[in-house]
Amino acid sequence: MLSNGNLSPSSLSVKDLLWQVQWDKEKCTLCGRCCAVCPVHAIELGVHRKRFVQVPSLAEIGPSTSSTSVYQVYHGIRQKTDPAYACVGCAMCNLVCPNGAIIPLRSDEVDKLRYHINQGGQPRRRGGRRNAPDTLNLGTLDRIKFIRISMLTDPALDAGRHEFELRTLLGRVLPPEENLKLYRENGWIPPVREIYPLIIGSMSFGALSPTMWEGLQMGVAYLNEELAMPVVMCTGEGGCPPRLLRSRFLKYTILQIASGYFGWDEIIHALPEMKEDPCAVEIKYGQGAKPGDGGLLMWYKVNQLIAAIRGVPTGVSLPSPPTHQTKYSIEESVHKMIQSMYMAWGFRVPVYPKISGTSTALSVLNNLTRNAYAAGLAIDGEDGGTGAAYTVSMDHMGHPIASNIRDCYLNLARLGRQNEVPLFAGGGVGKNGKLAANAAALIMLGASGVQVGKYMMQAAAGCLGSESDRCNICNIGLCPKGITSQDPRLYRRLDPEKVAERVVDIFLSFDTELKKIVAPLGRSTSLPIGMSDALAIDDNNAAERLQIKYVV
Amino acid sequence: MEPQQAIRLCGFENGHRIESRVLEERIQQAVENGHRLIEIEAFGQHGLGGRLWKAGGERLHVKISGAPGQRVGSMGFPNSLVEVFGPTSDDVGWLNAGAQIVVHGHATNGAGNAMAQGKIYVAGNIGARGMTMTKHNPRFAPPELWVLGSAGDYFAEFMAGGIAVICGYEPQDPQNVVGYRPCVGMVGGRIYFRGPHKGYSFIDAKLIPVRDGDWEWLSENLKTFLTAIGKIDLYTQIANREQWQLLAARGPSEKGRKPRRSMEAFHQEIWDYELGSGGLIGDLVDFERSAVPLITTGFLRRYVPIWENRKFAAPCEASCPTGMPVNERWRLIREGRIDEAVDLALAYTPFPATVCGYLCSNLCMQGCTRQTARMTAVDVTQLGKASLRAKLPELPPIGGDGGEGRSSEDAERGVKTIAVIGGGPAGLSVAWQLRRQGHNTVIYDMRPELGGKISAMIPRSRIPDEVVEAELARVREALPHVHLNQRLEKSDLEQLREDFDFIVIASGVQKPRVLPIPGKEKIIPALEFLLMSKAGQAKVGKRVLVIGAGNVGCDAAAEAHRLGAEDILLIDIQEPLSFGKERRQAEAVGAKFRYPCFAKAVIDEGLELTTGEIIPADTIIISVGDVPELDFVPESVQTERGFIKVDEHYQTSDPKIFAIGDTVKPGLLTDAIGAGRKAAERIAQIVSGEGEQTPSSRSKIDYARVKLEYFDPRIAGFEGIESCASQCSSCGTCRDCGICVTICPESAISRQSLSNGDGFEMVADPEKCIGCGFCAGACPCGIWNLVENESIE
Repeated sequence: MLSNGNLSPSSLSVKDLLWQVQWDKEKCTLCGRCCAVCPVHAIELGVHRKRFVQVPSLAEIGPSTSSTSVYQVYHGIRQKTDPAYACVGCAMCNLVCPNGAIIPLRSDEVDKLRYHINQGGQPRRRGGRRNAPDTLNLGTLDRIKFIRISMLTDPALDAGRHEFELRTLLGRVLPPEENLKLYRENGWIPPVREIYPLIIGSMSFGALSPTMWEGLQMGVAYLNEELAMPVVMCTGEGGCPPRLLRSRFLKYTILQIASGYFGWDEIIHALPEMKEDPCAVEIKYGQGAKPGDGGLLMWYKVNQLIAAIRGVPTGVSLPSPPTHQTKYSIEESVHKMIQSMYMAWGFRVPVYPKISGTSTALSVLNNLTRNAYAAGLAIDGEDGGTGAAYTVSMDHMGHPIASNIRDCYLNLARLGRQNEVPLFAGGGVGKNGKLAANAAALIMLGASGVQVGKYMMQAAAGCLGSESDRCNICNIGLCPKGITSQDPRLYRRLDPEKVAERVVDIFLSFDTELKKIVAPLGRSTSLPIGMSDALAIDDNNAAERLQIKYVV
Repeated sequence: MEPQQAIRLCGFENGHRIESRVLEERIQQAVENGHRLIEIEAFGQHGLGGRLWKAGGERLHVKISGAPGQRVGSMGFPNSLVEVFGPTSDDVGWLNAGAQIVVHGHATNGAGNAMAQGKIYVAGNIGARGMTMTKHNPRFAPPELWVLGSAGDYFAEFMAGGIAVICGYEPQDPQNVVGYRPCVGMVGGRIYFRGPHKGYSFIDAKLIPVRDGDWEWLSENLKTFLTAIGKIDLYTQIANREQWQLLAARGPSEKGRKPRRSMEAFHQEIWDYELGSGGLIGDLVDFERSAVPLITTGFLRRYVPIWENRKFAAPCEASCPTGMPVNERWRLIREGRIDEAVDLALAYTPFPATVCGYLCSNLCMQGCTRQTARMTAVDVTQLGKASLRAKLPELPPIGGDGGEGRSSEDAERGVKTIAVIGGGPAGLSVAWQLRRQGHNTVIYDMRPELGGKISAMIPRSRIPDEVVEAELARVREALPHVHLNQRLEKSDLEQLREDFDFIVIASGVQKPRVLPIPGKEKIIPALEFLLMSKAGQAKVGKRVLVIGAGNVGCDAAAEAHRLGAEDILLIDIQEPLSFGKERRQAEAVGAKFRYPCFAKAVIDEGLELTTGEIIPADTIIISVGDVPELDFVPESVQTERGFIKVDEHYQTSDPKIFAIGDTVKPGLLTDAIGAGRKAAERIAQIVSGEGEQTPSSRSKIDYARVKLEYFDPRIAGFEGIESCASQCSSCGTCRDCGICVTICPESAISRQSLSNGDGFEMVADPEKCIGCGFCAGACPCGIWNLVENESIE
């Protein structure tokens, strides 16, 4: 607040901020909770002077009686306007307020803060997803309709009553004749996993808090062991806790190896003691949210725990370069890497690469089809989330998932190998809460399964981040819900058991919704991968591009 | 026509099967004709025996032989008894609204589908989806389906009412009498069954005990059923209460899910059991990880308040080169300790009245926090003027005789001797401070009186003589060893260097800077002019031109006016830097200012500018700065651009020699006094052997921490020092107002007396404090600060 009106170029008023804290003096009880909970110290107690001019009856004003100024002070909550303390809109203040006296509201115009967020020459970095709230809350995936409803034609199925086979395959599926031949000759047949088609995508131990990570893993284990749903989760790059590596729960885990190679020596040391093979190995080449951009875990976040799991000393910055070192061609990247990872578990574990959505995805895919080991391809579209990235990378780099996955699938179909190299789609699945519809659309466009990350944070742990630029401070370790923080004072807010319960809720409800989609299509015996005759969209260009029907 | 006379209708005629429609019309006609016993030989006709309302309340018996088609007895009425002598096809009793249907054989799929009233007795097994979608309308008795054998798969789906009884006699699957996945979507009714089952929809149905009332109903009605199908001989075998079980629909509030392990149990029994105690990372961390609330206390607080009393200097103090603790003095006044407040000044300056009260531009007031909010700064000049009566404290004794030079006694007691060259503000300040520390100083000055600039050059309009005199008297009392009228040469300095422990050069500036232009000899340097004026020897013409419009120029202008000048112009090459009292006085006497003007030559008419313009003038005074005369300074002392070069402690390149004041860098009186104090501190440090330590000075408090909202913003001036003190915001020093104690929402803050009995402190109880920072937000003085709590790891 400028009391004497001196301006600097970055002097902002509350009106200039994206999030404006509305405080109600009448309702406020001055309990202090809002200020105590605010992750970014955007609010503080302010002392306010109030002036009352007391005027006696004008008739009485004279030398002995005159009007007077009376000053009073009151204390109240004040929003800071320094860009360094700009409100992020998380509304934790509202959450803890006993009287509902405070709430951040989004600016009704383009904020001015965005022009001043680069203090010190440092462009803005943040977590979350691409800040592009879709018009009417509908993205391409949301707008895809399932139009082939079986009523009197195919068997009409009842999602609640019938039984459905919803599992998908992760691994290189050989054509039957080839498979039988190898079987007869005792040849090597690529390992294939039957997994649930909704995969918890790679979020590292480090990007996520220990409580969040444990909650997700616990939920996954529960789904497998108590509900017989073969759900799997990818570790992300950041290693894997040694106990998990040595437990039977490892089989529900996809281990990720990425350009930083963190934690892999711990994984290698655990090999002789593993009770189970991991579900698969994912080689990360790119991330949808920030394609071609690496990561850097700042030294001050590398605490004891992170250090132990990643196999590094504490207090050292951990760079993950944008690209893998020592791999100089696509052939090398694919072949060298896949072969090495297969060897680690005696060729019993499927290995597949994950790339960010890109117009070059077909080149990668074509290479994979020529590689006998490639177990699939995961593509992460531009709407994927991240813990930390430059806003410019997040908002402007990348490729939408729908057409990318579609191109790949149709290309496989042209090669006659659409059932051989499974594609996994990610990036914004469930972005507007329509998880099952988005997943089903991607599956019918050609994906064998979908990966979700951000959705899990939102649904399983109450992440408040949004594409309207709410919160999104995952990168600074101050997550008010304890989801992405490494500070025990924050992450202890999150109870892993409760997260696990929500994971179970999510998968059960997803399961029901997916059935509600596939049942009317008359599908119950297998996942309708590539069943694009069931799809339509109310946009002719999109329909043409995706080779699905156009309906209005 | 005899009502009880049977009419026989055959579904096959003239070698052809009769259409269902035709047979239905004949049946309806027969009923209409009064027939109440109808025997049908069926050939796959649809829906036989239903919809026979035309019999009204009279009992109607339909006997079907042959092969009935689907939906026997569909939409049956309560008046009807439909008996099938053999097996029947799908959907027997579909939408039954009251008929009793007896099947003397098996029934295929959909038996009783959607029936709402009536009874279906099946003397064999039924196929898939029996008793599905059945209803119970409260206006009527519930529908019943009795099956002697077993039910097929998907039994009782979406059953919404009625009673099914599966007797389990010679069942199709001896391991499971109710089929695969029964009761999906069941919301009402109950199912008695006898024999094993392989599960049912747990979400929708539940097994409940067969109570006495249930058994009474079942055993009684079982007789009727067995009698109707002609198998009463099985009664004893079937009516075995132990063998019966009862499934009932769950109510809406009971609709649950499959019984499954709670996550808490899974966590403990499966997760931690497999991974080890503490779960996933139990082996890697040793601190508590249980869930915490959003609002925490103690070490779980993210931020903690700290009472930073006196950690930062008030802006007034930080702004003053002498380090005068201005706000401490106001505090003493607020506490009624006026004498102490006044005397305190002498620890920082020998001239509290002269400088603070009159001559200083009062950087303290310029820095005053109140100024940041356009409020009138606390008026320090009032306190300065009041300090005229400040009393010299008792000084440490020196020397056996108190004389100059080193005595052996002094040497033993660590008293040092210091020669101070120059008795102006800087020299007197350093000597004053050294004397207060117990050292012996000797002052040399080339003028006939002490005070330097103060006594020699400052115009009389700025300060009453008696103020200067009184303060100089106080100085002389403290500093007896003064040698006036002493112009020193280099050799003298070298001798002094031998005789004294230290020399401090504070000789100021004497040589005016002049402009290298033709006729420069006609220009009078301002300092010279001011000296002469003060001595009553200066004369000026009507038109006076002052080159250099700084504060000295302004002083010259004011003096010129006093001496009779009428037309005074000050010119400068840039926007004049003059300010404050000097500027105001010059403006008050009508002096004009002009810039930028560049002098080219002094001519008879006045001054010629580089533009060719001639400014007429009778007297031209120059005040573009002065430089020191350094001829007497020993070779060991380095100079730079005409000034003596010193380090941050005012020590020259000769460790025994210090230099302060304008000799080092032109500045304000308060700069000179401050430099004297800092040089003295440094000398004391060297003497006590503390070495190269920077004196610990507190940094200035952040203005934003101070809350001025507690003060009346409309106060334009102050009447007396008490009034000043009352409006001081006590920046950085607790004023003991207790607002923090009051504002703290958790009552965590208390005022506690210090154990040494001297003063108090404010303490926040960590067990109550939630780290909201309200104390910091409310504190008028900016004492409380909210800082990050210690890292847990």
